[in-house]
Formats: sequence, C-alpha cells, structure tokens
Amino acid sequence: MVIDFSSFYNLPRQLDRFFDEAWRPSMISQRRNAYPPVNISEDKSNIYVFSEVPGVDIEDVDITLSDGSLVIKGNRKHGTGNYYRQERPAGLFQRIVNLNVPIQADGVKARMKDGVLEITMPKADEAIPRKISIKAE
Amino acid sequence: MSGEVKKNSGSLPRFSPNTDIIEKEDGFHIYMDMPGVQKEDLVIDLKENDLAISARAVYPRMEKVSNVHLEFGDCEYSRSFTISDVVDRENIKATLKNGVLEMFLPKAAKAKPRKIEIEVAQD
Repeated sequence: MVIDFSSFYNLPRQLDRFFDEAWRPSMISQRRNAYPPVNISEDKSNIYVFSEVPGVDIEDVDITLSDGSLVIKGNRKHGTGNYYRQERPAGLFQRIVNLNVPIQADGVKARMKDGVLEITMPKADEAIPRKISIKAE
Repeated sequence: MSGEVKKNSGSLPRFSPNTDIIEKEDGFHIYMDMPGVQKEDLVIDLKENDLAISARAVYPRMEKVSNVHLEFGDCEYSRSFTISDVVDRENIKATLKNGVLEMFLPKAAKAKPRKIEIEVAQD
C-alpha cells in the first residue's frame, strides 16, 4: 500500500477532531448537517445566499425561484478508478431556502467563485422600507 | 463588498477537508474539498514521507449586512498523508479549481509492477 490511510493509525487526528467539534463556535453549529451548507444574509435592498459547492460547475447547478422559496439543485459527479477513500459527498443535492419577502425575480444574479455559490436577490419594491416625510403645518 | 480582513491564524476553527483518494493506472489522484480557498492561501509541504496540506478560507466581508443564518465561515483546513517510495516525488502535481485541490502522485518507474518468474525446484 502506498498511502497510509489506515484508520488504525488515526487516533491523534480523531482526538483532534473531537476537541475541534467541542470548541467549535456555536454560531456555525449546523455545519455539515445538511448538504450543501448555506449562509443567508440581507441588507436593505438585497438578500444574499451563499453556498459551499466545491467541484461543481455552475452549469450543473439549477437555481429556481418559486413563490416564497429558493431551490438550489445540483449534481456532484465523482471520478472513476479504485477508491481508497471516499469522503466527498457525490450525487444529487437540493436545498430549499424559504424567503419571507417578495423578490424581483428578473434581477436575481448568481456566480461561483472558489467553490462558493453566491446568489444575490433584490427585494421587490414593496418590500423595501421607505421613509415617509411628515410635513409640519 | 469590502476587502478581506486578515485574522490571526489559530483563532479560526480547523477542519480536516473531505478527501477522495483514487488509484488509476498512472498513479494516485487526491481530491480535497476546500471551498473558499484561494491559491495564495494554500500551502503544500512535502518532507520526506510526509505530505502536509494546509489552507485558509477567508470569506469576503460585506458591509451593512445582517446575517440571518450561518452554516459555514472562515476556517482553516489541514491534513497530512504519508506517502511511500512508490510515488515519484519529483513529479507531484497540484491544481486548485472550483474550491477543489487535485493532487496527482505518479508512480515511480521502478515501482511499476514486475512479474516474478517462479522456478520449479529440481531435486
């Protein structure tokens, strides 16, 4: 055997991992629970959705916006050969993000950089808070 | 979008990246998921038999944005492998594309399989 991947010799790493999990910041508690992981943030005029999908081409990702939800669907292909170790998830994946504000569907933009998918969705005009000036008499 | 904020290493959560190891006829292919990592933040070290990979993913900060839901963030990846003499060290190749590090470890010429003839012992 060429590469030492035997789990018998892996104890130090497993201990490391155990402590890593224990001390992990609570904010990122859901990491690895669902695939792919998703971050959602918003500002006054946009909702931003980020997702980690390493190794997936943007052509293989299907983003659909239906009433009230954004669906990210895709397929992760895997190579051929003799696998000595397979930890990277492969196959079809889907995640649904519920949106609580109306979106301008034709203004949605998506791009991929370093394996991170970035979707920018402009909020519909009626959802943007507006200041109403009050005239003093 | 604002510029990246560099943080002290050590304060970031560490992860062991998901890895596939595939043997093909020409050698071994290692694939590692490292989303958010740029080429400049990736270090591959080969010391004798130890191949150590470490990287840092720092996501761009956005101003005036409130985070609604977070499942990933800035982190460090590190992992190491032990390789044996069968690998041709001079010709290891690494490419980083779409957040996946691919390393190709070719087999050394002397390690190509050789059939050994078995002689029948004569009394």
